[in-house]
Parts: sequence; C-alpha cells; structure tokens
Amino acid sequence: MTKKNTDGRTILVIEDERPLLEAINAKLVKNGFDVIAARSVEQAFDAKLGKNGSKVMTIQSIEEALNYIESLERVDAVWLDHHLLGEENGLDFVKKFKANGGRWNKIPVFVVSNAASPKTVQSYIRAGVSTYYVKSDHRLDKIVKDIAFFLDRQRS
Amino acid sequence: MNKKNTISASDEIISHLKVLAKEKEVVRRRLAVTAKKLAVTAKKLAAIAEEKELVRRKLAATAREKEVVRRELAVTADKLAVTAEQLAATAREKESARRRKLAATAEKLAATAEELAATAREKESVRRKLAVTAAKLAVTAEKLAVTAEKLAATAEKLAATAKEKESVRRKLAVTAEKLAATAEEKELVRRKLAVIAGELALTAKEKEVVRRKLAVTAAKLKRSYETLEKKVLERTKSLEMARAKEEAILLSIGDGLLATDEKGNIIFINKTAEKLLGKKSKEVVKKKFSDVIPLEDEKGALIPLEKHPVNMVLVTGATTAALPTAYYKRKDEKRFPMAVMATPVILNGKVIGTIKVFRDITYEREIDKAKTEFVSLASHQLRTPLSTVNWYAEMLLAGDVGELNEKQKKYLDEVYRSNQRMVELVNALLDVASLELGTFVIEPELTDICKLTKHAIREQKPQIDAKKIRFSFSCGKSVSRIQADPKLLRMVIQNILSNAVKYTPEGGKIGFSITVADKKNVLMKISDTGYGIPKNQQDKIFTKLFRADNVRDKDTDGTGLGLYIVRSIVENSGGKVWFKSLGGEENKGTTFFVTLPLKGKEKTVKVVRINK
Repeated sequence: MTKKNTDGRTILVIEDERPLLEAINAKLVKNGFDVIAARSVEQAFDAKLGKNGSKVMTIQSIEEALNYIESLERVDAVWLDHHLLGEENGLDFVKKFKANGGRWNKIPVFVVSNAASPKTVQSYIRAGVSTYYVKSDHRLDKIVKDIAFFLDRQRS
Repeated sequence: MNKKNTISASDEIISHLKVLAKEKEVVRRRLAVTAKKLAVTAKKLAAIAEEKELVRRKLAATAREKEVVRRELAVTADKLAVTAEQLAATAREKESARRRKLAATAEKLAATAEELAATAREKESVRRKLAVTAAKLAVTAEKLAVTAEKLAATAEKLAATAKEKESVRRKLAVTAEKLAATAEEKELVRRKLAVIAGELALTAKEKEVVRRKLAVTAAKLKRSYETLEKKVLERTKSLEMARAKEEAILLSIGDGLLATDEKGNIIFINKTAEKLLGKKSKEVVKKKFSDVIPLEDEKGALIPLEKHPVNMVLVTGATTAALPTAYYKRKDEKRFPMAVMATPVILNGKVIGTIKVFRDITYEREIDKAKTEFVSLASHQLRTPLSTVNWYAEMLLAGDVGELNEKQKKYLDEVYRSNQRMVELVNALLDVASLELGTFVIEPELTDICKLTKHAIREQKPQIDAKKIRFSFSCGKSVSRIQADPKLLRMVIQNILSNAVKYTPEGGKIGFSITVADKKNVLMKISDTGYGIPKNQQDKIFTKLFRADNVRDKDTDGTGLGLYIVRSIVENSGGKVWFKSLGGEENKGTTFFVTLPLKGKEKTVKVVRINK
C-alpha cells in the first residue's frame, strides 16, 4: 500500500471509516506521500505500524501514542478525522499532541471531517490545526493538492 | 307647568283689570248720577228761588195794590165821609126817615167803614205781616239768593267737578276704552294663550300619555332594576367565585409566577414559585425581587442587577427574557437552569409592575442537548457515506484505477452530481435544523460585509465562469462594517448568490451591489437575468422545501431550503428580504433585496428561535 517517493513526505492519517481511510490512503500514495494510517488515536501510535501504511493496529494509551510519534523517523503532517473509534476524538488528540512538547508537535494538522458544526471547527482552529475541511464539501484530490501545496510552501 | 302658571296669572290680571274697569264705570256712573242730581237740585233751588222772588214780587205788588186800594179806600172813605156829611146834611136837610135809614146806613156804613177799617187794619196788619213776611221773604229770598248763589257756585263747582269728573270719566272712558282695547288685546292674547293653553293641554295630554307610558316604563324599569339587582347579586357572587377561581388558577399555574410592583417589590408568588424557590409566600412578599431570586450564570457568578430581567422590564418597559444560561440556586444549594420571562404590567400607559414567569428547564436543557447532539451526529452520519460515494466516484472519474469509457464516465458523472445534490440537501437540512433548534447562537461582531461577499463570490467563481456569466460587483464606499454574525451573514449571501448563478442561463448577467440604504440599514441587491419566479408561485418562494415549477423543469440543482434559510436569518437579524421578478417570463430575471440593520438586532432574547 505504500509507495516510496523521492519526496518522502510522510503523513499520518487518522480516520475511523474504513472505506474513507482506504480512499485517502490510495489518493495520498498516488500523490507520492508515505502514509501511516490509523483508525483510532491509539492506532495512530502503534509502534508496529511504522512506515508501512494502512494496517489496522492497536495501541494502549495516549502516552504510548505520543511516544510512538516521537519514535517516528519522519512525519510531515497529520490528516485527522474528528469522529474516531474509541472514547477520544480528534480534538483530544490535537490537544495532547500540541501540548506534549515533542519534536513533531509543530507539524501541520489537517482536520478532514464531516463534523461541521461551527463550534467544533472553531475548537480545532483554536487548538492550532492548519485547516479544517468538511469532507462532503470537498473533493479528495483538492484536499490532497492543498496539503501538498502547504508542505511545499513550508519547505521552501 | 310654567306655561300653565303664566296663563292663569295672565287670566287673573285680565279678570282683575276687568273688575277694575267695571268698578271705574260704576264710579263714573255714580258720579254722573250725582252730578245730574246736583244739577237738578241746583235747578230746583233756582226755581224755588225764582218762585220765591215771584211770590215776593206778587206780595210786593199786592201790597202796593192794597196800598192803592187803601188810599183809594181812604179817599173813598173821605169822599164817603164827605158824602156822608153831605148826605147827613142832605138827610138832616132832607128827611127824618131817611135820616134813620141814613143813620142806619151811616151806621152801616160806619160799620162797614169800621169793618173796612178793620179790614184795612187787618189788611194793614196783613200788609205789615205781608211786609214782614215780604221782608222775611226778601231776607229769605236774599238768603235764598245767597244760597242760590252758593248753590250756583256749588252747582258751578259741581259742574266743574262734574266737568272734571266728566273729563275724568272721559279719561276713564278712554282708559276704559284703552283698557277695553288692552282687554281686547288681552283677550286676543288670552285667546292665543287659550290656543296655546289648548295646545299645551294637548301637549299636556300627550305628556300625560307619555307620562303614563313612562310610568309603565318606570314600572318595567323598576321590575328590571329588581331583576338587575338580583342579577348583580348573582353576578357579584359569580364574580367573587371567578375571582377566587382566578386566584386559585394563578396559585396553581404550573410555572412559577411572581408579581412585583413598580419598585420591584414582590406582591405575589404562586405555589409553583414557592416550590421552585424553596421559599414561602409570606417570606418573600414585600421584599425586593433581587433579594429573593438572585440569578447566576453558568459558572455560578451572580448576574448583575442591571441584567436581571425584572429590572430590565422596570427600566425599559419591554418584555425581557433572562440570558439562556440563568441559574437559580436554592437554599438547599440545589441549582437549576431557569427560564425567565418578565413582562411589564401596564395600566393606562404606565408600568405599574412586572410579572415574572419562570420555570425549571433542566428537562428542556437535556432535550435541547439531545437534539443538538442528534443534529451533529446526524450531520456526521449522513455525510460520511455521501463523502465515500463522492470520493470513490471522483477517483473513478479521475481514472485513478484505470480509464473509463465515455458511457461509464457519463453514468458515473450522474452518480457524482446526484451525490453532490444530496450533500447540498443534507447541508441545508442541517442548517435548517440548527436554526430551528436555536442551536445557532447569534454572535454578532463587526463584520466586513464587502469582504465577506467577495469571498462568497470567489467560492462561486468556477460555476460563474463555467456558465460564462457576466458578473459585476460593487460595494459602496460608505458601507462600513456592520454588526452581524459572520457565519449567518455568509449563509445569506451564499444562498442568494448561488441561486442567482444556478437560475441564470449561460451567458446571462448577474449584478451584486451593496449600499447604505439609510442611516440604519445596509442594502444588498442581487439581480440576475435568469428564469424568474412564476407569478402564481411568488408567494411560496420562501417556504421550506418549495421549488418553483420553471426551475424544476430546467432540472437545475436546488434543495428548496436556501430562501427559507435566508429569510429565517434575515428576519431574525432584524432585516428584510424581498424580490422583484417578472413572473416567470423567460429570462427576464429576478432581483433580490436584503436589508440588514447596521447595528445588528436590538435584542431582548438572546437565543434565536426560528418560526416554523
């Protein structure tokens, strides 16, 4: 499922809906991203996942997850859904991720979710995410293009 | 009644005048009679005096004649004496027999002489007596003359008096005539009065009739009054009952009810209020409302007095609701969210107190929360499969997994576009649900309406370009930032703009302008050269889920919710939305107008609820 790209941008995708996760993964890979996919906050930090893509993995705690992110060789961006499997949602992840002061906590977080209530969106923006996309209102290729553009600009 | 009096009074005067006239006539007649009598008496007296004079004169004549006779007698006597001497001498000379005869005769003659003398003497005495009598008579005559004179004077006086009396009489007669005339006039007047009196009598009769009727009416009225009194008594009773009932109703209202006077002192609370506040009526009556029902916000901070709804009502005189997050803490420290609606009690245009209705809305809060959660959950749950269809169709169409043939592309394109419509519909429905649930809290801030509009136009740019629509936009220089909720304002602009784009055919024109309408409002005007709105459906255009026939024919996308949302937001923001359209005549276009207050809505109720 992964496809190495000379560019080597690695993106962590946290999305609970399997068909969507697969679509995202396919599109990102097609666009040259390395993808780490997870369906829950815990999975996102599954140490076994590594750079090898969208396998479903489990992780026991947020601390472990954060440790996992710390252990990653490289991660350039996070693709995050709001509703996730388990107790915690995307916002919980963002807050913890931004708060833990780790080496990757400066990377951009793109929320792509169908939870479109203004209150939710504002909470994410306040928590420091880069962009908030309402899934059903945006084409997949547009979001991927946006993220690529964002990362390109950041790099240059 | 007065007329009657006047009539009898004038009658009295007339009769009195008549009496007077009669009396005067009587006096006049008496005076005339007296004058006549006096005149007669005077004449008689004059006649007597004349007769006496005649008598006197006759007496005097007789006396003279007697004197003549006496002198003649004396002469005769002398002659007789002479004769007698001659005769005696003759007798003596002549005869003795005859002497005796002569003597006798002489004697006789002497006797006769003597008798004559006696007679003369008698006559003389008679004469004397007559003279005396004459003298007396003269005196008497004189006296009588005097008397006569006096009488004459008297008569004259009487005549004068009579004249005067006559003049008086005449005057009286004149007066009497006048009086008679007056009397006639009076008579006329009297007759007129009599006529009037007759009329009055008629009127009086009529009045009598009326009076009788009135009497009957009065009797009826009396009866009615009695009935009325009875009814009043009954009504009073029933009113007392009703009052008692009303009080009972007030007391038993399921919501807390608290009334204050114009100073904010509590004058009444009902049972529910007692229960909710945990205080008895007698504990709170006459106390200041703020001491009895202090309100807290969500965090437990006291809501200041000036924001307390009862105080706001007293200050502004307008119905006021508490902030949606007002809590009341009871003595037992139990806190509950309280819905408060305070209204002024207005009598003769003056606020004489307030009525505060409040209740525990814990349950409603829970329901609201559940509804909100449902909406957000539904929004997610509905959108997720739509997103899946969207993205997979998109990838297929993009040829991510191999090229499609034209037919496959066409079919998949239908799937993709229908799915897009479904997304739009879900979005609109969720907006409506949010608006209707009141979960859309209006958060006005100074918003740059021009910038917001430009952004919305940019979003529509691909569609505008695709249809080769000539688009013009102008924002007046004087349009400053307005007090509005940007996300709601964006919804309004997006909906109206997307409608214009959707319903304008290729190559059409759209004009969007924003100007300051007046000192208080900003005006948005969006005109297109689109299909227009059929005349017979123009009144339904703002109705939820309504779509005009002509655009449904055109098979363009649309949810029938956009204008409903627009109107809901605009009207809740204190603005207006309307349109002009040439009734569906092909491509004559439509112009929408939206006004919004520059200073936002003057709000008393903070939570917006949309009328369904």
